[in-house]
Amino acid sequence: MTYSVIARCPRTGRLGIGTASYTMAIGAHCDGAVRPNVGVTITQGFPLPRNNRLAVNLLAQGYTPSQVMAELAANDSDHEFRQIAVIDREGAGVAHTGSKVRPVCAQRVGSGFVALGTMLASEKVLDALVAGFEADKHLDLEDRLLAALEHGRDAGGLKGSKGALKERSVALIIWDKRDYSDLDLRVDLKDDAIAELRRIYIDFKPTGAYYEERARHPRNAIPAMEFADMLKGQQKETS
Amino acid sequence: MTYSIIARCPNTGRFGVCTTTFSLACGRRNESLRPNVGVSKSQAFYLRRVDPFALNMLAQGHTPAHIARLLEVDDPDFEYRQFGIIDRESNVFAYTGPKIGQWAGQKTGPYYAAYGNGLAGPETVEGIVSGFLSDPDAPLEERLLRGIEGGRDAGGQRSNGRHRPERSAWLRVVDRLDWPQFDLRVDMHDKTVAELRRIFEEFKRYSDYYQQTSREPGKAQPEELVVAALSAA
Repeated sequence: MTYSVIARCPRTGRLGIGTASYTMAIGAHCDGAVRPNVGVTITQGFPLPRNNRLAVNLLAQGYTPSQVMAELAANDSDHEFRQIAVIDREGAGVAHTGSKVRPVCAQRVGSGFVALGTMLASEKVLDALVAGFEADKHLDLEDRLLAALEHGRDAGGLKGSKGALKERSVALIIWDKRDYSDLDLRVDLKDDAIAELRRIYIDFKPTGAYYEERARHPRNAIPAMEFADMLKGQQKETS
Repeated sequence: MTYSIIARCPNTGRFGVCTTTFSLACGRRNESLRPNVGVSKSQAFYLRRVDPFALNMLAQGHTPAHIARLLEVDDPDFEYRQFGIIDRESNVFAYTGPKIGQWAGQKTGPYYAAYGNGLAGPETVEGIVSGFLSDPDAPLEERLLRGIEGGRDAGGQRSNGRHRPERSAWLRVVDRLDWPQFDLRVDMHDKTVAELRRIFEEFKRYSDYYQQTSREPGKAQPEELVVAALSAA
């Protein structure tokens, strides 16, 4: 009941996750899943929180993604219930879809990305995720990941034992070179969570640089409320 | 403008933060807590690097009060910052710079710090503390959320004479494991604290189930059926 793309941006080396799920607060499952200049991972299906840091720690020690996957398998008696992806700092990726993960489940390993999902409406959802991600390779990684999720949703999204399931939570996470995230947006429990994330992303994006600049040069900073009013004005003009 | 409460649970040693603000996605600051090390939450004109730095210093054995001095000597704009730091011995330090502008203040206790800026006044901080202290036997996550609800009910944020809506909120609690026990967010909402309460109440109903899907996947019921059963109940 989750579909995701994890990726390394070939232009910038930034690492990211886009994930959408019926499970609430799926973003909390991504804790520790990205480390700058090391790699990115995800475990879904029946998740296993310790996998994130274990995978990233092994990558940091020099393991290849396929060796990492072998270690995750050896370390987990329920490995067949997990769906896992790992990408290293060179963009090499691997994926595992256990035999006991609930269908329809599938994975695609591409150059610099892995798309994977469980309890999909059909395998077409995964093709759509890839198509959305690959649609415009010049975009920033966050735009590519969000486009992928929107394509996946539009191709049918999730399906459970009693029919279609809504995406109720979403996370969009990007790390660059610093020891904290570049972008980290979530919707934890809401119908149409992907549309809600798009709405938040549009409003959040112009504020990121403002808050950084304001912290670096507080003496000259425009007050936050004034800045918010300015943005509102601009949005009215453009709409 | 932001108000927060950070705490170390005196019963369990867990660390937690609950915060709300006008700006969006305040919960992206997940670098602010480290299990069995401490919590450091900076705000006002905050630098993202401060919290990881403070936690690294805590892990090396520095006290919160000493870390505050280290931050001060390294920052020409220190008087614009506001932060709180708590270590694993429950040493608490909070600072509110005099140049933040608008009303800003703090109140610390033996294992907690409540602080905010762009607030209605001291009543918001008092509201946070009374909410947090209202039931000392409640679990830390509940106490933290009650703290922020108390701050909201006492007047919340105000600037230039107008109430300013809380638009994002965050609750995170870490126990001994590397990953959080609770990490719930509302990134943009008109009634964000009430929305965080809604999600928290819903999440609690499923937390045992979510643990089972991870630890005993072979025994776990399909989630959509669990949701249907609980919704009907």
